[in-house]
Amino acid sequence: MVWLIPEGRLTPFITLILMWIITLISIYYGKKGKFSVRRIPGLDKIEEAVGRAVEMGKPIFDIIGMGSFTSVYAPQTVAGLSVLGYVSKLCAEKGAKLIAPQAAVDVMPVAVEIVRQSYAEAGKLDELDVDEQLPYLSGTQFAWASGIIGMAARLKPAANVMIGPFWAESMMFAETFARVGAYQVAGTARLYQLPFFAAVADYVLIGEEIFAADAYLTKDPVKIGSLFSQDVYKLIAILLSVIGAILSTAGVKVIVDVLSK
Amino acid sequence: MYKREIPLLITFLSGMVAVLEYYFPTDATKNAFTVLKNWGIVIAAFALGFGAVNLFIVYGRRFRKAPNPVDRVFSIWLLVLLVITALVGVSLSSASDQYQWIYNSIYLPLGATMYASLCFYMTAGAYKVLRAKTLDSTLLLITAFLVILGNTPLSAAIWKGFFSWRMWIFDVIVSGAYRGIRIGVGIGSIVLGIRTLLGMETGYLGRR
Repeated sequence: MVWLIPEGRLTPFITLILMWIITLISIYYGKKGKFSVRRIPGLDKIEEAVGRAVEMGKPIFDIIGMGSFTSVYAPQTVAGLSVLGYVSKLCAEKGAKLIAPQAAVDVMPVAVEIVRQSYAEAGKLDELDVDEQLPYLSGTQFAWASGIIGMAARLKPAANVMIGPFWAESMMFAETFARVGAYQVAGTARLYQLPFFAAVADYVLIGEEIFAADAYLTKDPVKIGSLFSQDVYKLIAILLSVIGAILSTAGVKVIVDVLSK
Repeated sequence: MYKREIPLLITFLSGMVAVLEYYFPTDATKNAFTVLKNWGIVIAAFALGFGAVNLFIVYGRRFRKAPNPVDRVFSIWLLVLLVITALVGVSLSSASDQYQWIYNSIYLPLGATMYASLCFYMTAGAYKVLRAKTLDSTLLLITAFLVILGNTPLSAAIWKGFFSWRMWIFDVIVSGAYRGIRIGVGIGSIVLGIRTLLGMETGYLGRR
């Protein structure tokens, strides 16, 4: 079978299998309660954002971006949906009005189902108006952006949580919500948008922190275990980078050769 | 069972086909992956109808109940344009002159206008950040100033060193930081993918 693997994909294939094994081992130990998660201030502040919306009697926005399930940004969308589940649960329990505009038609039914379940669990399904609170605006970037900007200007929300994949619209959202005085928690793994969020939002989740959101918020030992495996891979990546840099400087290309096989 | 186990099984099988197609690109795996992608396109087309129905419900209701007459006008205007665009696209095809006119004369200028407004948002954001209040923000201000100098033709005409400084900032400082974040993002995505394939991540199913 190995001969079927094209050049340059053997090492990634072996690495994937090893990662699979290490992740399973980490999950096994996670279930035994061996690991804990460090504090992520941005995620802690979501509850404060919902509380602010309740106190001010204004809505809270949760924007998950315009990524779909069929693109490379799907993991970010899934992370955004996890946070939407948490925000909607808090909103249902505390009585804040949630607004979560949608842009991806394949993600929208899932988002609706998540929010509906949160309200059902809180016994407040009758308070949820799916069409008004999770409106489909547009699948086109700037039509969607202008729709949200307009909603923010009219409704003047108390808070805004944006976690997911974002493109050029990120700065428009962050600045508009800041201008109407909304408390903002923003996070994305799209590197070019991170500086915009860091510049304007009150709290920022940087890169992989958004993937830790679900584990952090649910305290699920399985997910916390898998988070530990992420740290293991990062440690390996750092070691490979340092050793590879030293060896390459000395003219030994062994790590480069192995990684490119 | 049909709400949880069957979707998880479909996810596992679909994911494994995608993984196998990448690492073992034979005719069988390629064909299987192509079929899956086509199914995805068909399902997405159905979901598009869901979005259109939602637009009609929301803006139809707003047209009937909005106290502000301006809201009513905009609501009905949106629905009229939605119907016209859909009718022209379906009946004459998206390559027709009429559809292209709608696209080039209405959609494109509106999109370009929104995109152009981005510079004002960025300027406002930069104004908030680039203030020398702390050591960090002072360093950021100095770095941003050097990058701006390196990007403008006038400063390069005065002294070419500005351009070299800008390149050094991008190639060394920015690249180093970005690669660190990128590696973390890649690892996070892979672990999320493994959890999804193993049925431990169910956020995409619409239930936690």
